[in-house]
Amino acid sequence: MEEIRTGVYICHCGLTIAGVVNVEELTEYAESLPNVVVSREYRYMCSDPGQDLIKKDIKELGLNRVVVASCSPRMHEPTFRKTVEDGGLNPYLYEHANIREHCSWVHDDKELATKKSKDLVRAAVKRVFHHESLVTREIPLNPNVLVIGGGIAGMQAALDIADGHNKVYLVERDPSIGGHMAQLDRTFPTLDCSECILTPKMGDVGHHPFIELLTYSEVEEVSGSIGDFKVKVRKKARHIDESKCIGCNLCEEKCPWKTDSEFEAGMAKRKAVYIPFAQAIPNIAVVDADLCAYIQSDGKKCGACIKLCDAGAITPETLLKQTDEIVELEVGTIIVATGYDQFDPSVIPQYGYKKYDNVLTGLEFERITCAAGPTEGKIVTKDGRPVESIGIVHCVGSRDENYHEYCSRVCCMYGLKYAHLSKEMANADVYEFYIDMRCFGEGYEEFYKRLSEEGVNFVRGKVARITDEAQTDEEQGKLIVVSEDTLLGKMIRVPVDMVILCSALEARSDAENVGKVFNINRRADGFFLERHVKLDPVATPTDGVYIAGCCEAPRDIPDTVAQAEAAAGKALSLISKGTVTLEAAISTVDEAICHGCGRCEEICAFSAPNVVTKNGTLVSSVNEALCKGCGSCAVVCPTGAIAIKHFTQDEILAQVSALTEA
Amino acid sequence: MNLEDIIQKTKPYYCLECGKCTSICPVSRYDPGFTPRGMIENALLGFDDEVVLNRKLFSCLTCYTCQPECPSDVDFPVFVREARGLAQDNGQSGVCAHSGQLQSLARLMTNPDIKQNRLEWLSGEHRVSDDSDVLLWVGCAPYFEPIFRDVEFSALGVIKSTLKTMNSLGVEPRLLPNERCCGHDALWTGDFETFRKLAEHNAAQIREAGVKKIVFSCPEGYRTFKMDYPAHVKLDCEVQHFSEFVAERIGKNGLKLKETKKKVTYQDPCRLGRHLGVYDAPRKVLESIPGIELVEMRHAGPDSICCGTSAFTNCDSHSNLLRSERLKEAAATGAETLITACPKCQTHFRCATTDRGEERRSTPRLEIMDLANLVANATGE
Amino acid sequence: MMAGFEPQIIAFCCNWCTYAAADLAGTSRMHYPPNVRIVRVMCSGMVDPIYVLKAFEGGVDGILVAGCHLTDCHYIDGPVKCDETVNKLREVLHVLGLEDKRLRREMVAASEGVLFAQVINEMVEDLKKLGPSPFKAKTEALA
Repeated sequence: MEEIRTGVYICHCGLTIAGVVNVEELTEYAESLPNVVVSREYRYMCSDPGQDLIKKDIKELGLNRVVVASCSPRMHEPTFRKTVEDGGLNPYLYEHANIREHCSWVHDDKELATKKSKDLVRAAVKRVFHHESLVTREIPLNPNVLVIGGGIAGMQAALDIADGHNKVYLVERDPSIGGHMAQLDRTFPTLDCSECILTPKMGDVGHHPFIELLTYSEVEEVSGSIGDFKVKVRKKARHIDESKCIGCNLCEEKCPWKTDSEFEAGMAKRKAVYIPFAQAIPNIAVVDADLCAYIQSDGKKCGACIKLCDAGAITPETLLKQTDEIVELEVGTIIVATGYDQFDPSVIPQYGYKKYDNVLTGLEFERITCAAGPTEGKIVTKDGRPVESIGIVHCVGSRDENYHEYCSRVCCMYGLKYAHLSKEMANADVYEFYIDMRCFGEGYEEFYKRLSEEGVNFVRGKVARITDEAQTDEEQGKLIVVSEDTLLGKMIRVPVDMVILCSALEARSDAENVGKVFNINRRADGFFLERHVKLDPVATPTDGVYIAGCCEAPRDIPDTVAQAEAAAGKALSLISKGTVTLEAAISTVDEAICHGCGRCEEICAFSAPNVVTKNGTLVSSVNEALCKGCGSCAVVCPTGAIAIKHFTQDEILAQVSALTEA
Repeated sequence: MNLEDIIQKTKPYYCLECGKCTSICPVSRYDPGFTPRGMIENALLGFDDEVVLNRKLFSCLTCYTCQPECPSDVDFPVFVREARGLAQDNGQSGVCAHSGQLQSLARLMTNPDIKQNRLEWLSGEHRVSDDSDVLLWVGCAPYFEPIFRDVEFSALGVIKSTLKTMNSLGVEPRLLPNERCCGHDALWTGDFETFRKLAEHNAAQIREAGVKKIVFSCPEGYRTFKMDYPAHVKLDCEVQHFSEFVAERIGKNGLKLKETKKKVTYQDPCRLGRHLGVYDAPRKVLESIPGIELVEMRHAGPDSICCGTSAFTNCDSHSNLLRSERLKEAAATGAETLITACPKCQTHFRCATTDRGEERRSTPRLEIMDLANLVANATGE
Repeated sequence: MMAGFEPQIIAFCCNWCTYAAADLAGTSRMHYPPNVRIVRVMCSGMVDPIYVLKAFEGGVDGILVAGCHLTDCHYIDGPVKCDETVNKLREVLHVLGLEDKRLRREMVAASEGVLFAQVINEMVEDLKKLGPSPFKAKTEALA
């Protein structure tokens, strides 16, 4: 075995260490430790001259282990690993002792701080004795990207990546891309029409030579790891020949079978064969098999659409024989942008949603104000009466321990938008019931101010209930919004013709399953968890899988787009590098010891170990691209066959026993 | 001490290099890298490091399959034990299973100041007496209980069954509240210092308690007290395995065992069988339970094969093969239950039968239980 | 209790949360007693029972195993695995007669420097009341 020759370097860090720790005494002590051939102190080890000291000693004194005692390794371990590497050693033959954050900055007794520093240095010296050279590996990255979700986030991310001439597969569950944004009428605070800014983007996505659109499709299975994911997508049967459909919509016009239109938030009907909305991309029809009488009767009833389709896109074959198709994709990175669900306010019975015709959710009101919507943009009651007064209720399901603790971030602003539109389009009296006005974005506060000037009645109070039980003549035939005006300190009853509930944005009802497919964790509120809330907001704990938009938390369109571009940037930086660097400090199996019992396979959150048959016996085999080096497999391994490189039992126990020596 | 001293002490120089030990060794059958003959040869040729620093030194099961067959009567297990002492001094302690927790616990138990809570499992249904001169050895069972829950083994369940059986035989034994590990594993892995300290603690407590007889449900404790303690500590009491304790009371003392319909086979633990020669007592107990049909494995009695791991070291892929082959042999008898008389055998067999991934397993899923469990169930009202 | 007894503590801290919290305590200059030595692990779920047992063998008076909160784990569910290990270990240490407070399990997020300092303060206080570890005699006897 080679002789271990360790160099120890004590940093003064100006006076931040040297002012508390006796660095001369510490340096002298370090030199007395086993296998230490040199020990030096220096004012700033991280400076170039400091680093040069180490490099010089490696060459001249033949050092093969290095310890630096300075600040936190979270700060300068990478620096000194690089120094050691530049000096000609493997970067893992290095150990860092934290005598600043964990010592000189938290203790003032010089003697005890010096003693503690000695312990920490001794532990580092004994640990580094066991260190082994490790090699980081690079594997090629498949440049193709999978984007899940065809809302504004998914589209933006797909376009950014595809514009760089990289292949993107965009998978959308619904028959058309567009997402929630396509349903919106106007966008705050600029009040530009949502469709006007969205549909050109949808068209770009639809025609982009580098984007392959898979609508009416869902991802069923993801295997592999960063750089090399294998994805199975279920392309649901549309029951039409996609290549022939020209989107003429004749089939829908003549189809006799109706149901509530999803796009119109249930405020209008669609047919069994339909195109979700006028600007749908792709502009082709889809058949709702559950509703289609021809399919349900196995070809015995109806068949109107077959007769009408000149293009030959709908035939008995497509209706009866077409089945779901499984498409297999290979990609290197994945962006998940699956969006949100609108909170269903009917779970709050005192608000009367679904009980009173004119209590609406935000999305329903969006369709009402939309010129292409069910009322052609007229703000009228369900029975067609003009609306003279409107109550807008904020925080429905948000900022409420009973439903969602969080703020949904967009409701204040869309509530203000409705107030403006109600004034502008119906000249209605508007009552805005709020707890706090949160108008934080660009131009948002200004919009609030403008609305105040437009004569909107702002009532600070959480609405207690909405009722049709009139107490006065004035209230007859109206909906009465009951609340305390907390600024006046009195109960008020406001009779209105229509109430809009600013419903919360909540995690998709299937977020748990989607999370499992892509190995993304969820927060307690159900949304997907980012790797770091501040410093890594679009990454997930699974390398190569990014999140964008409302699947991560409620946010408005500008933030969603920014996040989508951030996620695209993450994917693009991987693509431009072309390879993936694999963590070196990962688990390794001693196959002579391993029983192949599978406990490691069972516990791993990343599916890195797999029990396989080698030479006729079962052994665990670790997928190095999946392993993150968390070490849980080594804890459950009954035999001691699994070790985590750089965190081996020998290394940690050397440190522990060194700390108990003094 | 160096290997030379160990050679002088254990006399492997009588070795004829016939290789019978290796050919009969259950470990060598699965691990071509392990050869008792080769190890002796290396020792005799002065390749001390090859013997002492090699982790394979800890693969020997000290099962005593080889020694009775050796034409020169070389006591290979004792040679290995002594060489391990030297290995420990040189930083080689084999690969400790369960990350070395059990070895650590034994060392922690050498401390004089500890006040263990090792009898909290005792309940109203158990009858014990501090005036009794019969001691029931509880050993490591309270420690095994949480550690081996993962393999669905209850070591305390064995102790409780032993106690229940003793009670139904009219014996209310004494239990010691601060008993230590017997030191068996420490001794056999060459940690002699720990062994000596544990032996001294235990002997002092037993002397103080004035015990005349100790009953063991663990053959390792039994072996250690009977064969190893006398060289280190002064103890003057009879020691007995549970099976012997019950066997001598069959037909007397009113031991009534109810009918238990079961086809069983029996694993002779190495310590109970080859180390101490107790083959008949457990079989006699089994046969005394009405309805029990005992079918022997192909290798039984002195030819019995070890459960595959000893002293929680080098529980490697070869031990596992050995273990699954043994389980297959047990299954081949057509028995539904494998009876052992040693908690360690049960730990190891259950480990193999609780492996994950049902679809790829080749290990038979036999029911495994201790003789004491079976007997206690048969004494039940 | 010994006069002037200063307990010795080893803290196993996960790289992402509690180690960072201890760093934060440092950058915020929060003072806490110098009785603790931190061993960095990547995840609290990496802490093997043997690390704790060996530290007790070495004669430390108390051990802290600390890492991310349940929802913050860099490795998804390390804290859950850590809890399992520590709970099992507690059962074993209880049989050995070790006082429960000598092994402390905490979840301290990277932002919780104050909590880290508070945990160390509390531990030092608790351990001073308990006195030296019952395993200390062995180390001294061996020394």
